[in-house]
Amino acid sequence: MHLRKLGISILGAIFFVSSNMSLADETCMSPYMAKIVGQEDYVYVWTLGVEGLGDEQDKLVTIDVNPKSKTYSKVVSVLSVGGRNEAHHSGLSDDRHYLWAGGLDSNKIFIFDVHSNPRKPTLHKVITDFVEKTGGIVGPHTFYALPGRMMVSGLSNNKDNGGRTGLAEYNSKGEFVASHWLPTDGDLRGAKKEGKFADGYGYDVRVQPRRNIMLTSSFTGWSNYMMDFGQMLQDGEAMKRFGNTMVVWDLHTRKPKKVIDVPGAPLEIRCAWGANNNYCFTTTALTSKIWLIYEDENGEWQGKAVADIGDPAKVPLPVDISITSDDQGLWVNTFMDGNARYFDISDPFNPVQKYGEEIGGQVNMISQSWDGKRAYFSTSLLGNWDKDSNGEMQWVKLYEWDDEKLELSHKWTVDFYKEKLGRAHQMRFGAYSLYSSKTDNKKEVTLLDK
Amino acid sequence: MSEISSLFSYFRLIFFLFILFFCGMSFSSELSNYSGPGDNKDGYNSKDYETNSLSLSDRKGKSADLIKFVTMKQLGLPKLDIPKDNPITREKIELGKKLFFDRRLSLNNTMSCGMCHVPEQGFTSNEIKTAVGIEGRSNLRNTPTLLNVAYNKFLFHDAREYSLENQVWQPILAHSEMAMPSFGFTIKKLELISGYKELFEKAFPGEGINMITFGKAIASYERSLISGNSAFDKWYFGGDQNAVDESVKEGFKVFVGKGNCVSCHTIGQNEALFIDDKLHNTGVGYAESMGLLSSKKTLVQLAPGEYVEVENEIIESVNQQKRRNDLGLYTITENPSHRWLFRTPSLRNISLTAPYMHNGIFSNLDEVIEFYNQGGVKNELLSPMIKELNLSKREKINLRLFLESLVGENINILIADALAAPVGDLTEDDPNWANKKDMGYNK
Repeated sequence: MHLRKLGISILGAIFFVSSNMSLADETCMSPYMAKIVGQEDYVYVWTLGVEGLGDEQDKLVTIDVNPKSKTYSKVVSVLSVGGRNEAHHSGLSDDRHYLWAGGLDSNKIFIFDVHSNPRKPTLHKVITDFVEKTGGIVGPHTFYALPGRMMVSGLSNNKDNGGRTGLAEYNSKGEFVASHWLPTDGDLRGAKKEGKFADGYGYDVRVQPRRNIMLTSSFTGWSNYMMDFGQMLQDGEAMKRFGNTMVVWDLHTRKPKKVIDVPGAPLEIRCAWGANNNYCFTTTALTSKIWLIYEDENGEWQGKAVADIGDPAKVPLPVDISITSDDQGLWVNTFMDGNARYFDISDPFNPVQKYGEEIGGQVNMISQSWDGKRAYFSTSLLGNWDKDSNGEMQWVKLYEWDDEKLELSHKWTVDFYKEKLGRAHQMRFGAYSLYSSKTDNKKEVTLLDK
Repeated sequence: MSEISSLFSYFRLIFFLFILFFCGMSFSSELSNYSGPGDNKDGYNSKDYETNSLSLSDRKGKSADLIKFVTMKQLGLPKLDIPKDNPITREKIELGKKLFFDRRLSLNNTMSCGMCHVPEQGFTSNEIKTAVGIEGRSNLRNTPTLLNVAYNKFLFHDAREYSLENQVWQPILAHSEMAMPSFGFTIKKLELISGYKELFEKAFPGEGINMITFGKAIASYERSLISGNSAFDKWYFGGDQNAVDESVKEGFKVFVGKGNCVSCHTIGQNEALFIDDKLHNTGVGYAESMGLLSSKKTLVQLAPGEYVEVENEIIESVNQQKRRNDLGLYTITENPSHRWLFRTPSLRNISLTAPYMHNGIFSNLDEVIEFYNQGGVKNELLSPMIKELNLSKREKINLRLFLESLVGENINILIADALAAPVGDLTEDDPNWANKKDMGYNK
């Protein structure tokens, strides 16, 4: 490594260690966030309402997950928000006091207060004018905390419901700041088109602050993500409208620097935590590959397909992924076969699957604790993409992970249909320790010491 | 032609023809690039595909005075009958246009007429076979174009409506489209959205916002989407021998002769709407209902030039919204002899409105021509006019080139005007339970 880059890395590491706000909890979230290093108390599940089930609307479901609690593994709070908004992803604010949750269809953003009473979140604010304020971005997807900011990645636009879209930047109060459009051939916005594609599509957003980069991935527009999945697979025109790109951005200036070809709809992005690990992973939903996005020896960011996931010919549909806090393992969930697959990524250029377990008939999201011992799984992918017999397949499950035996063991299931809740999507953790003077955050530097 | 065909892909050829077209036109060249999806996927079936995506911020358009297209004579088009109780005015067109692109006219503020009738996609949707409505609800049919819709005696693929003024309300209230709860709720919501009361007053002095004025306004905008003066019209009706090349003229011969297309897509002495105001059974609906189009596997595209065959059993497992069979006119008459009858669509601007047929089953004109060349799909109610054609390869190409010559001269003006219209999205001042102002219940 060049001396200059080494210096930057050391400075970055010092910044991480010295700042209370520069550490994160479960392994997939913003580094600009306080983290839970011990036992989480609650899991907040952003849940899709279903016609004919309960009150039919989206809701935030709180599950007590502290084994010492009398209500362990039980739903302790349900907060309905009105409408089927296509509840999808959620993200915590930089101070971790608020949970932002979006509706990919209605474009509403619900901001929940999760700190005043972590057991019973309340609805703090609803942003209703997301599309109007952003100049036409549709489908608020990822909510990613930056200092004093919330970066929201879009999926579509209000002109043709296609995949061209942008990022929307809000401040922590929920006020709109700016739109950052994904580069297209018509306006690359200063970015270098590295390969053949500059589709302007969006999906996830992640950062590596040490390297001053932000990464975005690309999925599809409203017409597809709202369409019946089976219908879409048979619609040749619709299947042309998936993203094939990732964009490397300058984090500080929010300017796109480079468009990298990643064919087949790269979705979730997970960046390594290690101080010298200048890389992130993604998986392509359609082509079923793990891609490594990495900084090469010349300081250039590159993309490389590094492993297949299952049998790509069977379209297992990799969905959520989760990197372990020591950067040694990557969980990859595959929706169609309901499998959780554990890849050894100690050599990031050669991931090897070491373990696989069928979690259920379908599986989507995974949230693992910082120590990697607990992994929560949920089921719903999109309202119109879930399996037809979804009534038997909508739950949140907790598994414990033995990283020596390489084995998951099931602990409990909350059946979201039986409880008349809906379809479980993204899970975020809450803990009293975040909001009290008592803390066991002494452990937090250990990984960075390595 | 076969050499050209081998050199250029189908869409590249269309693009080439467009350039030829518009170079010779009197309209400003700045309006020459609006047609076609901004997210261009031409050549996506090849591994050599390269994106050619337009910036959304470039989608600004340019306002036009549309009323002139209603009143002026355009080659190939008859004089337009305008309902006496809804004389067309600029104010109505402008109001109708604003309503047309207002996504607040849906239950959850996400769907407008313009989200399916996308201007640069031929006022239909080139990107999906059948329309997707509110909350992703599946619709059975391909979105019909609105270009020249004013001339249609019947509306919808099954001809269930007869006037634009009435038709307007159906997508607004349909559960699978925009899902507004009622006429009254829609009107009250509009009254609470800033600006609409004033615009209705300008367009309909003293009448206010009601079922009738709402229908008249949107109908006036749709009625103004008139597009004739195509290259074909300039040759056939205008006598300009250079307006089209010989292959188009040969294609026209096939159209009226061996192909017998003209038996349904009729042509008059002085104008040609290419419709017969009738419904026909071509076998497309029958084939779909009877499962004749199914196979055990479906070829699914994963990325540019990359496909995989997927077992239909797998596709069925993620097929929540089981499709009903579409029986066409029978759906509204229950007359068994009306099974699988669908309205003859106009062929004007046909090259802009892919995919084709009532269910969008054909992705390009070549597939449509081949379907008719083979005599449709046999069934007891198949139109007797549909027979095997035995067209040669050259005849089929020429027929396609003729169809491509039917693009109206002002098409880019109509598109640019639509792109210049504001898209109505929910603001914090609009009625919504999560805003300060709501619909006023229990107060």
